[in-house]
Amino acid sequence: MVRKLTRRTFLKLSGATAAAIAVSGSVTKLVSEVSAETKAGTSELVRSFCEMCTSRCPIQAKVENGKVTFIAGNPDWAATGGAICARGGAAISQLYDPERVKKPLIRTGERGEGKWKEVSWDEAYSYIAAKMQEIKDTYGPESMAFAARGGPHKAYMDTLAKAYGSPNTFTHESTCPMARTVAKEATFGTNSLSLDYGNAKYLLSLGRSYFEGINVAQVRGVTKAMANGGKLVSVDPRFSVTAAKANEWYAIKPGTDLALVLAIIHVLIRDNLYDKEFIEKYTEGFAAVRDSVVTATPAWAAQETGIEEKDIERMAREMAAAKPRAIIDWGWRTATSQEEFELRRASIIATILLGSFEVPGGIYLDKSAAVINGLVGKSVVPGLSTPKVPSYPKPVRPRVDGAQVKGQPNYMVPASDGVVQAIPEAILTEQPYPIKGWFVLRYNPVISQSNTNRVIEALEKLDLLVVCDVNLSDTAWFADVVLPESSFLERDEGFNNAGGSAPAYTLRQQVVEPIYDTKPHWKIFKDLGERLGLGQYFPWKDMGDMRAIQLGGRQDLIKTAQEKGVVNFGIKPLFLRDKNSVAQFVTKYPEAMSQVNEQGIIDGPMLNLKTPSKKIEMFSQEAQELFGRGVPVYRQVKLKEGNELYFIQGKAAIHTNAHTHNVPWLHELMPTSRLWIHPDTAKQMTLKAGDTVEVTSLSGKQQAVVLISKGVRPDTVFTYFGFGRLSPGLKRAYNQGINSGMMLPSAIAPVCGAALHTAGVQIRKV
Amino acid sequence: MADKRYGMLFDSNRCIGCQSCSVACRAENKVPDDVYRLQVRIDGPKGEYPQLVMDFERHSCVMCEKAPCVPVCPTGASYMNKDGVNMVDSKKCVGCKYCINACPYQARFINPVTGAADKCTFCYENRVQKGEKPACVSICPTGALVFGDVNDSKSEIRLALQQYTVKPKEHLGTHPKLSIIPNKRGGGQ
Repeated sequence: MVRKLTRRTFLKLSGATAAAIAVSGSVTKLVSEVSAETKAGTSELVRSFCEMCTSRCPIQAKVENGKVTFIAGNPDWAATGGAICARGGAAISQLYDPERVKKPLIRTGERGEGKWKEVSWDEAYSYIAAKMQEIKDTYGPESMAFAARGGPHKAYMDTLAKAYGSPNTFTHESTCPMARTVAKEATFGTNSLSLDYGNAKYLLSLGRSYFEGINVAQVRGVTKAMANGGKLVSVDPRFSVTAAKANEWYAIKPGTDLALVLAIIHVLIRDNLYDKEFIEKYTEGFAAVRDSVVTATPAWAAQETGIEEKDIERMAREMAAAKPRAIIDWGWRTATSQEEFELRRASIIATILLGSFEVPGGIYLDKSAAVINGLVGKSVVPGLSTPKVPSYPKPVRPRVDGAQVKGQPNYMVPASDGVVQAIPEAILTEQPYPIKGWFVLRYNPVISQSNTNRVIEALEKLDLLVVCDVNLSDTAWFADVVLPESSFLERDEGFNNAGGSAPAYTLRQQVVEPIYDTKPHWKIFKDLGERLGLGQYFPWKDMGDMRAIQLGGRQDLIKTAQEKGVVNFGIKPLFLRDKNSVAQFVTKYPEAMSQVNEQGIIDGPMLNLKTPSKKIEMFSQEAQELFGRGVPVYRQVKLKEGNELYFIQGKAAIHTNAHTHNVPWLHELMPTSRLWIHPDTAKQMTLKAGDTVEVTSLSGKQQAVVLISKGVRPDTVFTYFGFGRLSPGLKRAYNQGINSGMMLPSAIAPVCGAALHTAGVQIRKV
Repeated sequence: MADKRYGMLFDSNRCIGCQSCSVACRAENKVPDDVYRLQVRIDGPKGEYPQLVMDFERHSCVMCEKAPCVPVCPTGASYMNKDGVNMVDSKKCVGCKYCINACPYQARFINPVTGAADKCTFCYENRVQKGEKPACVSICPTGALVFGDVNDSKSEIRLALQQYTVKPKEHLGTHPKLSIIPNKRGGGQ
């Protein structure tokens, strides 16, 4: 349709308006046809929630003539309003991407050769069921592993796994925020806690870039805090967008963040700047913390971190002045050093010392239906029920990663997530027992797990690899069977628990009919279950049934959710130590008055935590007995050899992890990644911007294009994660930029099982 | 009722360069691949460590009151409408690119589907005339954009414009209706 006019033809036409219109006639017709179609056709707004990352932001999709034309945030969801990120908005181009997997595929060539035949769902199911049965009969059901990106979809995968007899279900969390999860569990006895960014007066981020690893509600929270005069301090070896927006930025030496946090704790205790009353009433283990930080002086931390002593002293004083609305963020990403459990624990302990708990601008317990109903003394908010199913067979062998298995290194890791890096290891080493089959749902370990070569070597040894995804992902490329999943805009689903400071549920709804021969995950697991003779574990027909089961038949709430995309219960954010929010809550539920103490707060739940002491545990007896890590203590770590550079990564606002790089609109905005090198380092190595270098670590090597930037330490190189894609099935993203996993070691941080994401690399110009 | 004068305020301190606006614009205005009406660009890091700065710039039509693109158009396709929004009538456009050359903000391109010059319209026809905000304004995660009628003394934008603002390439005398709150962030305040 490109109309080419030379200057000469134009001159002939100029002044002859009629002729000009005649020339553009076809175009005009096209435009008017489109607008006529729009007028004649239907236009509707459908509420759902997003899946371009895992934040699950509520959305509103506009559908015109059966096509999705615009995606915005759900205006009825206060935390985001109509706002949405680039990835959410670009879900349209994922939906209509012609590169999607359109039919089930069975491998016909060698593994990883990219030869497939399109098959019917029936044939694909038969193939998978036969192989799964064979694995069960030959090796036992535990030899089949299942992994998904975490979320409500995992319940269906888990049902199939458990019914089949395998305990081995995983999320990608151990290659993401597992350290803070385990740290929260150890401290509070639960992971269901959040940070109230929006009301913080002082926010210290250790390497987390809110404005690149985007969660829209949190971006809005941090923005609101800053607009109200709150202080944002970014501690990051790289000058991120967050660092650029922060009041202060410190380019800390990689892997030494714990020294900074311990020194802050040291100052808070040394100068009596902590909240004594809070610590005495609600916590255990203060003495152990106090004794452990005696030598963690700011002068010592300055040596470790490269941050000046006076700045560390000032940070601690300013945090104390802002208390209780001061937070050291427990972070989101995976391990920056082996001492990640300690770092996340220390961040929580520092925040707790400031009494920043159950107040606006601090840590708070998520107010689930169970919490609210407990306070009111009767059921005022329905919980989400699950279908009644027969009891599952008991696996003979425990989880392959040892998560929640007594005596195992990963004992403290929740079994609902597991340590997913254990799967390739168990495939290769056959220890503690072999994994022979792997079902992967919209998860991409070839890119998101460390040590790419080893992961691929493991996949090659499998008897069965099934990948269910929207795209022919890097992991799908090595699969025996690829099952095309309907994209989230094509799926009805059940309710998602989206509560935070008040209970709320969101609903995923089908926005358009599936474009290709795809199915939703729940249907796939149910179908496969039926094939394997396990249909009794899926006692529901569809998502209409499921929603009714979840909400105990409350059709009124289901109807509201279908209209609004969300159900909440008119409960305002509740912070148990905040008199105002407690008063509001009691006005709504006078029955809760009995829970309110003479200070006008509700302290019951805070003194009845699921920890051994029922209080907040700054000292963990369990971590002490099992790992000698009762309180955080600094240990020197070695992340690189002397002549190497630190290799670190970060998130980009435009992409998610190992997922979106081939999505057309996002790829167009950010097609590749480069290696950031400091100008001094580049000069020493006579490197120019745009040069190609070979990057080598103990795990592998690859080429990278150099970006020279003062925004990274001279001893460090940086790149955005998730590029360098290996699947030729991702035509746009294939071989574009740097695959971080290729450089990263298989190492994990003790206690929490989090993958180590700092490596030492050597760089050579090619 | 007097005609409106639509204006926009871009707070470069709030902008995080996330490109949500660019994607929303593409969807809303069916902007073809490989061209764009709106992007945000990150300039930097610049300065000397540790006083580094990144500037965030909105790259799109700035809606000049004295628009260089209008008088150079030989067919009258480039015009300012009654509400102060610079528009392109694709029916009249012959794709001569005079306006593209004349624009000091590099905000225009030839739409490969229509063959006509194209650019930001503040979503005038598809949203603003229906009482909605432009797509970019409606979805911005940080509230970096304010839009409205600057003739209306009670509008949100009039209030917002009481802050210190600058105009893009003010020295050219094009009188853009896009105002900018210049960057104060970074540089270790």
